[in-house]
This record gives sequence, structure tokens and C-alpha cells, in this order.
Amino acid sequence: MGKTVLVVDDDPDVRLFNTTVCEENGYTPIEAANGEEGLAILKDKKPDLVILDVLMPKQSGIRLYRELKTSKALKDIRVIILSGIAKKTFLRSQKALTEFGGDEIPEPEIYLEKPVEPEELAEVLKKVLGE
Amino acid sequence: MTKILLIDDEPDILRVLSMSLKADGYEVFTALGGKEGLKLFEREAPSIILTDIRMPGMDGLEVLRRIKECRADTEVIIITGHGDIDSAIEALQFGASDFINKPVRDEALSIALKRAHEKLKIRSQLKDYTNDLETMCEIATEEFERKSNFQAKLIRSSNDGIVATDEDWNIVIINPGAQKIFGYSRADTAGKTDIRALFPKQAIDILEENARHPDSVEEIPWQEMNIISKSGESIPVRFSGATLREKNQMIGSVAFFQDLREIKRLEKELVNSERLAAIGQTVAGMAHCIKNILHGFKGGSYLVDIGIDKNNTDKLKNGWQMIQRTIARTSDLVLDLLSYSKEREVEYEPCRPNEIADDVCELLKENANDYDIEIRKQFSPDIGEIRLDPRILHRGLLNLVSNAIDACIFDDGLQKSHHVKVATALDEDQRIRFEIIDNGSGMDKDVKEKLFTSFFSTKGPKGTGLGLLVTRKLIEEHRGTIEFESEEGEGTRFIIRLPYEMTNRE
Repeated sequence: MGKTVLVVDDDPDVRLFNTTVCEENGYTPIEAANGEEGLAILKDKKPDLVILDVLMPKQSGIRLYRELKTSKALKDIRVIILSGIAKKTFLRSQKALTEFGGDEIPEPEIYLEKPVEPEELAEVLKKVLGE
Repeated sequence: MTKILLIDDEPDILRVLSMSLKADGYEVFTALGGKEGLKLFEREAPSIILTDIRMPGMDGLEVLRRIKECRADTEVIIITGHGDIDSAIEALQFGASDFINKPVRDEALSIALKRAHEKLKIRSQLKDYTNDLETMCEIATEEFERKSNFQAKLIRSSNDGIVATDEDWNIVIINPGAQKIFGYSRADTAGKTDIRALFPKQAIDILEENARHPDSVEEIPWQEMNIISKSGESIPVRFSGATLREKNQMIGSVAFFQDLREIKRLEKELVNSERLAAIGQTVAGMAHCIKNILHGFKGGSYLVDIGIDKNNTDKLKNGWQMIQRTIARTSDLVLDLLSYSKEREVEYEPCRPNEIADDVCELLKENANDYDIEIRKQFSPDIGEIRLDPRILHRGLLNLVSNAIDACIFDDGLQKSHHVKVATALDEDQRIRFEIIDNGSGMDKDVKEKLFTSFFSTKGPKGTGLGLLVTRKLIEEHRGTIEFESEEGEGTRFIIRLPYEMTNRE
């Protein structure tokens, strides 16, 4: 059984695309439609990697990423952000939350902007999961 | 000590008079003839002269004439003999102050001297008084000139245009500020032109109205209007004015003009830069939207490729559906763009607004239920069949209700039980009112400000950033109104009012 990848995105089409890329490359995908669902699965199943969207209802990717990185149990889970939002916008909102009294958190190691080529996503998956 | 000059050809008289006058406290000079007397007069300048009328050589009348020529304010008393009444009268005509008869009696002399003194005193007082008056007058004139100079400079250097008229509306003052605005020089206007030929009718009406009512406020509040300059240019100005009154009588008018050209230019620039910013946001918003659409196409074709490669019908089907959904999304965006940019005729036809509202609710119910959002309907039974454009109503309600559902989906208030209420009612003035109320996320100040002004979306990949703009445009084309109130964390209420026509059946 391959490594598990949690795909968090509110757009079912994006989830289908992401899970297909995972399957085609030998990983086991799990799906979540929003941040709240995603966090529950993260705690429950401890996947090896999360592919995370940013703008979602019921807890956005901005918040989920923050909770993930500040939780002792979850902070080592690798994260790929895949969003229509530009990287600098995401970083700006994280910076604002930090200034607002939040903890200092590391930048995401991989940030992909939609649209992404399936080959590119597959490559990134391989790189991050070390194969 | 008063100086007296005595002139007589008889040394005895001189001696006697001189003794008596010295005793009275005068400084006395004596001369035995007219010529000698005049010399002394020139040297000593006495204020009173007593002279005999009949003397050899230069007589008393000649002495009198010369003295009066030289110093008119000298008192000359003539001493006359018997039967000299004609000469005495002549002397009086020449300006003698008095005459006394020979032999000179002390009593008569002292009366004559007393009179002469009084005259001198009055004359000197009068002179002082006149001098004072002249000085005062000079000071007052100077002060007045200074003040009027100051005011003239004040008027001249004012940035505002100032035009003052007399009671017949003829210009008496037009300062450089006003000349600049109107393009007329002082020579063109002063004293000639009637302001009724120069000012816009609006300003004239105000001034005339003010002039007709002497009890009204004298100052007219500022208001904006356009004046036509000499070159025919229409210039935006702020106008104020007043009629000038004295004892309830109009004596003139004054008008003030502020040139608004620079302000208007800056306002225009501001609007332009805001428009540019809005275009920038549009482009950014569209790029975001198109990125998501591209992602959909890429994902779809990826799945189709896999399906073909592996002969996997499921993948093929999923991929094809994804492509179809993305095509639908593309068409949404294109249609939104089109309906936003195109004018469309409003087409009135008979319809039942409650049914349209119900259709919209049913259409969106499934999506709402997925997120545990309750849709509440509150339709007024008074609304039957009426005439309006059902497509506009459907499009507007669909947009607002799905926005309301999204506001609930996006709301962080996890404990809330979310609902969207759709209400219809008849309003006054032949209007129908629709309210869409949600208890979702509400809007902060920033979102409220941007709501209608730019292509703006809070929905990321799912919003075109055009929905609400299209809705507003359609409603305004239908001569309706759209307004909203929203509280962050509490929810939002949108109200649409549309005018309608009765159907023929009702």
C-alpha cells in the first residue's frame, strides 16, 4: 500500500483531478471538502501529505495550514498548497495573522498555483514523499 | 499786552490819548501822519489802530484802505470831526470797525475799544475754530481714504470673484477675481453693464427674490451653478450674494463667485484613477477566474487521456463530465460579461412573481440542504399576476439567493443554524418588494464598499465577480432599486423594488 495523501478542496472537480494524479502515481488518496473535514481526517488518519486549497467554506486553507503547523502531533505532515490564490497573497494573510498575535509558522515548502499540469503535480509528489 | 497805534496830526491829542491808553494797560505807538503811521504799522503790527480822518498828506481813509489791504483782521477805529458823517460812513464801508467823534471822550473811546477787542477775540476764536475744523477734516479725510483704500485692496486681492452693483443692478465694482472668471475687464463692465446680462438666470432670480423681500436674510447660502464667460465657456462656480440695504431701501447688491474649475478637474482625475483601479481589479479577477477554468479543462483532459490509455470508461466519463462542467462555467462567465456589457430592452409580460421566487428557491434548495441551510419562504398572497420582466426578476433573485446561501456556507459561526429567507410584498407606488435575508457571514466595511463598485468577489474560484453587478444593472434598467444592509457575523438583507404594471385581466 502506497503513502496516503489527503486532498482538501471544496471543488469536486479539483478533488477528482488531484486524487486521480495520486492514484496514477501509486499513492492512496483521501478526500475532504473543506478545512473542518480536513482537520478531522488529519487527526484521525495522519496522512503522509496534504494537498491543500486555500479558499474554502468552513475553515479556509489559511486557518487549516496554521493549525497544522502549530500542532505538535501534526506539524511534520508535509503540505503542498494548490490554489488559485497567488503565493504572495497567501503569505500576506499568514503574516497578518502572525502579527495579530499568532505563532510564527514556516512558509509552505511547496506552493502551486492553479492551473497545474498533472506531470508537474506528480513530480512534486515524488519529490516531497522522497521517491 | 495789546498794541495800539495812534495816528493824528495834532501832537496834543496824541499825547493826551496816549497817556490815557497807557494808563488802561495798552502798549501805545504814536505817529503824526499817515505815512509814518503805516511804517509803524508794518514794524509793530498792532491789532488796534486809532486814526484821525483828516490829516495833511495821507488821510485816514487812505490809511484804513492800505491797512485793510495789508492785514484785514486789524481793527481800525476812525476819529472824525463835526460834520464828517459822510467820511465816517465811507470809512465804515472800507472796513473800519468803529468811529468816534472829536473831541475824544474817554467813555466813547473805551466803548469803541471794548467793541474792537470783542471783535478781535471772536475773530481769533473763529480762526482757531476754523483751523481746528480744517485739521479735523483733514484727519477724517485721511482716515477715510485709508479705510477705503484698505477695502479696495481687500476686494482687489480676493481670490473670489466679487461683483457689486448699484440699486439698478449696474456694475460698480468687478474685482480681478471676477474679471478672471467672467473674462471681462473692468473697462468692459464698470458702470455700464447690467448684471442681468452677465450672471446666470439662477443667480439673478435669487438676488431679485432677495431684493423683493426686505425682511429675508441678507446673505444667500452658497450654491453651485454654471456661468457663461465672455468667450462662451460654461464655468462651474459656487455662488453667494446679498442685496445691500440702508433703512430697508435697496442701495445695491454684491455677488461672490468661487471658481470651481480646478476642483472639478481634480474630481474628474480622481474618478478616472478610480476607474483605472477598477479595470485593474477586473483584469485580476478575470485572470483568477480563467485560471480556475483552465484547471478544470486540464484536469478533465487528463482524466480523458487516462481513460483512453487504460481503456477505463469510468475515468473517461468523469473526465468528460469535468470538461462539460468547465464549459458550463466558461459560459457562465461569458454570459455574465455579456449581460453586464450589453444594453437589453426590458420586456414586460404577465407573470406571477411568487412563482418565480418559488422556482428560484426550489432550484437552490438542494445545494442549501447539502450545507444544512434552511430556505424559508414568505410570499404575500396579495400578489397575483402582474406585468414585469420575469427574466430580470429570475436572474436577480437567483443571484441574490445563491449569494445568501454562499454567505451561510462561508460563515465561521459553527454553532449557528443557518437560514435564508425569501419574502415578497406589495410596496407603495405600484412597486413590488423582494427581500432576501440570511444569517450568514455578513460583510465587513471593506466588502460593503467594494460590493457594487468593482469586479469583486469573495468567493475565490466560484465567483465571476460580476453577479451582483449584473443584477444591479438589470434592476436599474427595469427602473427598480436594490439596497442592502449587512452586519459582520450577523447576516445580510438585500431588498429589491421593481415597478410593475397591472395585467388587463385585473
